[in-house]
Amino acid sequence: MKNGFSVFLAALVALGLSWCGFVLGSVKQLGTAKQESILNSSDTYPLQPTGNATLGLQVYRANGCAACHTEQVRQDGVVCDVVLTAAGKNPTVVSNLVSTLKLTGLTKDEADAASDKITDAGGKVEIQINATGVDIPRWGVRRSVAADYLYDNPVQLGSLRAGPDLANVGARFPDLNWQLVHLYAPQTVATNSAMPPFRFLFEVSKIGEAPSPDALKFPQGFAVPSGCEVVPLPEAKQLAAYLLSLKADAPLYEAPFTPVMTKP
Amino acid sequence: MNDEAKSNCPVGTGDEPKATGSTVPMWLFALMLTLLFLGGVYFDHHSGWFSAQVYSPYVSAEQLELYQPKSGAAAAAAQGKKVYETVCGICHGVDGMGKPAMAPPLAGSEWAIAGGFHRLAQIPLRGLNGPFQVEGKDWNLNMAPMGAALSDADLAAVLTYIRTSWGNKASAVSADDVKAIRAEAAGHPAITGAQLKDMPE
Repeated sequence: MKNGFSVFLAALVALGLSWCGFVLGSVKQLGTAKQESILNSSDTYPLQPTGNATLGLQVYRANGCAACHTEQVRQDGVVCDVVLTAAGKNPTVVSNLVSTLKLTGLTKDEADAASDKITDAGGKVEIQINATGVDIPRWGVRRSVAADYLYDNPVQLGSLRAGPDLANVGARFPDLNWQLVHLYAPQTVATNSAMPPFRFLFEVSKIGEAPSPDALKFPQGFAVPSGCEVVPLPEAKQLAAYLLSLKADAPLYEAPFTPVMTKP
Repeated sequence: MNDEAKSNCPVGTGDEPKATGSTVPMWLFALMLTLLFLGGVYFDHHSGWFSAQVYSPYVSAEQLELYQPKSGAAAAAAQGKKVYETVCGICHGVDGMGKPAMAPPLAGSEWAIAGGFHRLAQIPLRGLNGPFQVEGKDWNLNMAPMGAALSDADLAAVLTYIRTSWGNKASAVSADDVKAIRAEAAGHPAITGAQLKDMPE
């Protein structure tokens, strides 16, 4: 072949460069990732998952959940809202300012400027930072970042959303019984759901001397044959533990936002 | 007939076509350089320079820093954590669990989570000489007045951080409180273990 050596060299350089970019670069960038602090808190994120949750990831894989569910929340932008927390000594001046200034949907610079104006007039404000995007807030409160997948092996990113995104499902549906009922009979708790039931992860058995403590508690209108109960097999418990462990709701340095204060 | 047809066929209408070198047109070079330049500009504005922390919609580390929520209580908590980790954490541990033969724990310590912070605030301002007890364990150590050099706001932030972190749930301390306690503590020598017990919260 004419110029064989040059072609070989060019191919080597091209493949070598892309290896450096895709493999070496990624390892250098994120290879040493570890737990990090939650913003303005001494807690760390993510927490090491429980044994059941780690096993549940394998059940998730085995049942092909990732074929219909993603675990990645997209964020298009970030906006700041200025919220008045105290009117101070000149409430009239401050309330006039508040009614004339634009206080929502600002960039950080605009929010700082508005905040300075109100602070100068004696009021106290807080700047709230909110993520925006079509996935927010229905599936997550912020975008997914590398830390969310720290303990996932393999990572279940998914590529198709026949069902909803699950990146934050543990925070959206924190009830274990809800998760189990949803796996056994999705349509009883999620109307019009397209999800097939995963009944083979459960066992329908006669109630013995006493009902099993694990037995599912169904909502009104779902009939279990009388004298019978639905008990989750270990796989169902593991899968539910994994789903509950999916909580991507902590504000992080790389994905900051102001958490909504939950009333105690 | 075949032979005749063959002999009539025109044979060899010239040389075989050959690939030869030709100059790349200049406009192609110009186009490639322009695209490269535009790509470079876009990269400069949007890449965050390969930082592992910069994700879209942020385009640079500076912009990400700008968007960190810091106001009011949140800002004080962040400041308290920073001061704690540089001043206190070396001996008391960044996890507040203390270190054997260096400093007692602050997490869950009865001195840290007392209802009032008057006594707690005096410790970093005046220093503390052992022996004293923390969570039922004896400690015979001396602490220098580590907080005397901190500003009122920083000391208030770090005291608040100690009282509200690692499971501690006590009230916050304000800079004005620290100012008053500092004025009161001025000129007093280090607290001894015996005095500590008798001090009001």
